[in-house]
Amino acid sequence: MKRIIIKEEECDGCKNCSLACMQAHRTNSGTLYDLNLTDLANESRNFILAVDSGYAPLFCRHCDEPECVRACISGAMTKDPESGIVSYDEEVCAKCFMCVMSCSFGILKPDRATSQKVVKCDFCAQDGYDPSCVKSCPKKAILIEEVTA
Amino acid sequence: MNKCYDCNICTSADKPLEEFIAGLPMETAFHRVESQSTKCGFGLQGVCCRLCANGPCRITPDSQRGICGADADTIVIRNFLRAVAAGSGCYIHVVENAARNLKDTAISGGALKGLGALDRLSQKLGIFEDDPHKKALLVAEAVLADLYKPEYETMDITKKIAYDPRYHKWEELGILPGGAKSEVFKAIVKCSTNLNSDPVDMLLDCLRLGISTGIYGLTLTNLLNDIMLGEPQLRMAPVGLHVIDPDYINVMITGHQHSIFVDLQERLISPEVIKMAQDAGAKGFKLIGCTCVGQDLQLRGAHYTEIFDGHAGNNFVSEAVLATGAIDAVLSEFNCTLPGIEPICDELLIAQICLDDVAKKANAQLINFVYEDRERISNEIINQLISSYSTRRGSVPINLLPEHGNTNTLTGVSEVTLKAFLGDTWQPLIDLIVAGEIKGVAGVLGCSNLVSGGHDVLTVELTKELIARDIIVLTAGCSSGGLENVGLMTPEAAQFAGPKLRAVCEQLGIPPVLNFGPCLAIGRLELVATELAEAIGIDIPQLPLVLSAPQWLEEQALADGAFGLALGLPVHLGLPPFVTGSSIAVKVLTEDMKALTGGQIVINPDAKESAQLLEEIINEKRAALSI
Repeated sequence: MKRIIIKEEECDGCKNCSLACMQAHRTNSGTLYDLNLTDLANESRNFILAVDSGYAPLFCRHCDEPECVRACISGAMTKDPESGIVSYDEEVCAKCFMCVMSCSFGILKPDRATSQKVVKCDFCAQDGYDPSCVKSCPKKAILIEEVTA
Repeated sequence: MNKCYDCNICTSADKPLEEFIAGLPMETAFHRVESQSTKCGFGLQGVCCRLCANGPCRITPDSQRGICGADADTIVIRNFLRAVAAGSGCYIHVVENAARNLKDTAISGGALKGLGALDRLSQKLGIFEDDPHKKALLVAEAVLADLYKPEYETMDITKKIAYDPRYHKWEELGILPGGAKSEVFKAIVKCSTNLNSDPVDMLLDCLRLGISTGIYGLTLTNLLNDIMLGEPQLRMAPVGLHVIDPDYINVMITGHQHSIFVDLQERLISPEVIKMAQDAGAKGFKLIGCTCVGQDLQLRGAHYTEIFDGHAGNNFVSEAVLATGAIDAVLSEFNCTLPGIEPICDELLIAQICLDDVAKKANAQLINFVYEDRERISNEIINQLISSYSTRRGSVPINLLPEHGNTNTLTGVSEVTLKAFLGDTWQPLIDLIVAGEIKGVAGVLGCSNLVSGGHDVLTVELTKELIARDIIVLTAGCSSGGLENVGLMTPEAAQFAGPKLRAVCEQLGIPPVLNFGPCLAIGRLELVATELAEAIGIDIPQLPLVLSAPQWLEEQALADGAFGLALGLPVHLGLPPFVTGSSIAVKVLTEDMKALTGGQIVINPDAKESAQLLEEIINEKRAALSI
């Protein structure tokens, strides 16, 4: 199964991965040129944190033993045993945000615009599970690797 | 033979060129496109600010203002104004040098090859004087006096060159420019740290810079150069890499300042200097045109048939021209002299000489052009050319592209020659437009870049789409270089035009794409637009005339575009000028501008769609004129 691997020391904090994520998940069509950067609805599902040593790219790990799935009471969070991808179904979500509370890496969060859903990496499922963030990194600080569960 | 450096290169509309570059053993800009393909999204939208130590600040949903409090609109438009000011500064530098060279030529009694141009311009400026040299001096001084005015004093010549209704519109909007150099200075101040934050105020400054750039940097540079270097004449000329003849000592010229070459051009064809070349084993000297100064030389090529072998290509062809191995020196005096030529020159032992320190290349020799020293400078250059030829020929492989380009590109089109061709009146063209035989006019201008589908790809495809819709295309800039090398400026290209335009072209024996030459000649298109509007009795925005800089590249192109907007014309761009992060910038440039000047920016990267949009605008303008 595929995982996004992070080489923290290579990250320059350019946030191209965040813009790529916003572009990949925008609800209207368009190019990177006209992506509304001030619209909260376009928020990114990955984050770049400034740390003492430089930058820490924070991405959903799609954990082998995902706490978010374990905590989910409605069945909105599921892990595909085949691909290993942890998916979120907004329609099924009861908005209890226990997944947010239990995420071991602090990645999951309620959306800023409405606080009615969870903002979560979907591995760019709509794009054939070919994550936009990885393709956009000029430093190759994030990459896809095949791993065994 | 040579191993290719990397076959994974950017495409070109010019397939033989693309193939040639793919096989080269050295890196060119075409090879670097792929490794630079990941673009910064903040940069693309213009929302990265590094005007102070708190930066760089970027706009995201979580950070909607910079640390200082600047929002996306302020950041974007400050960046935009900086770019327009820099672009304006470049063109004003060019016209300043042209005027200084004319002044020095006049004082020293040097040759004035375009006395007709002198008469016409001096008349426009209200300068009456019998002696041509005295007259030329007064003209040059009048231009310089305007350029050096403070920002708070309106320049005089603007009113004399600009079309009256436009001048009044600019006056009404309060955007008449003060001294052109001071306007650049003022704009730079405005967009520095924590000064102006008013998007609309700064956009009006862009228009003001557009006017000073257009009237002075573009229009007047052409007219001053015509006086010194001779006026354009219609002629068929060879274009493309095949113009390079390895039997000569070949000099590639790059830049925008034709008047710097006056003395050298003459010296290189003098018998004693040709003898020096022959003693070194060459037949003589040839200048190989590249970038806009090559276009300028081509435009006036009728006066320079002996020294000028033809225009090889535009900005991004320069590396390929050098890679032929048959070029012995590069003489550069301005942009677009790509830094990428430097390692190629080193590898192929090509001498690099810069004649203006604003374009000093890292590994080039600087010989700043000073008019009084022109003979000494020409001598020094000639010695360097011969020395370079002697050193490198025989030891450097020659790799020509003899089949590239064509021999019958129509050149020498100008506001004067086109009108003369029509019988000294614009009426035949107006009649054709009214009758719908020519639906409208499109100026396809500006640079080439390597990202709008590839080298010259959008330019060529859009032009084909436009002529297929019976819209005649006029060109100025590196777009000319691309379009001529693919054959669209040969009379045979009429076959690509729509049935009506094709019939007109075939009857007149002209191509459907008319080459006005360098980007400076955007000023000549403005004169054509003015004269057409005047002949019909309407204002410029009413003309069925659109502009496009499909593959704009540089800050200068943005200043050109600002001029187009000030003239009230629709300006199409293939890529946005790093402004889409500001909703105000987008709204003002693409919508509100129509009510201000009559102009508008149209952004579209697709050739077919763009042509459709431009055709619709032309149809609207025709309908408004009831034709």
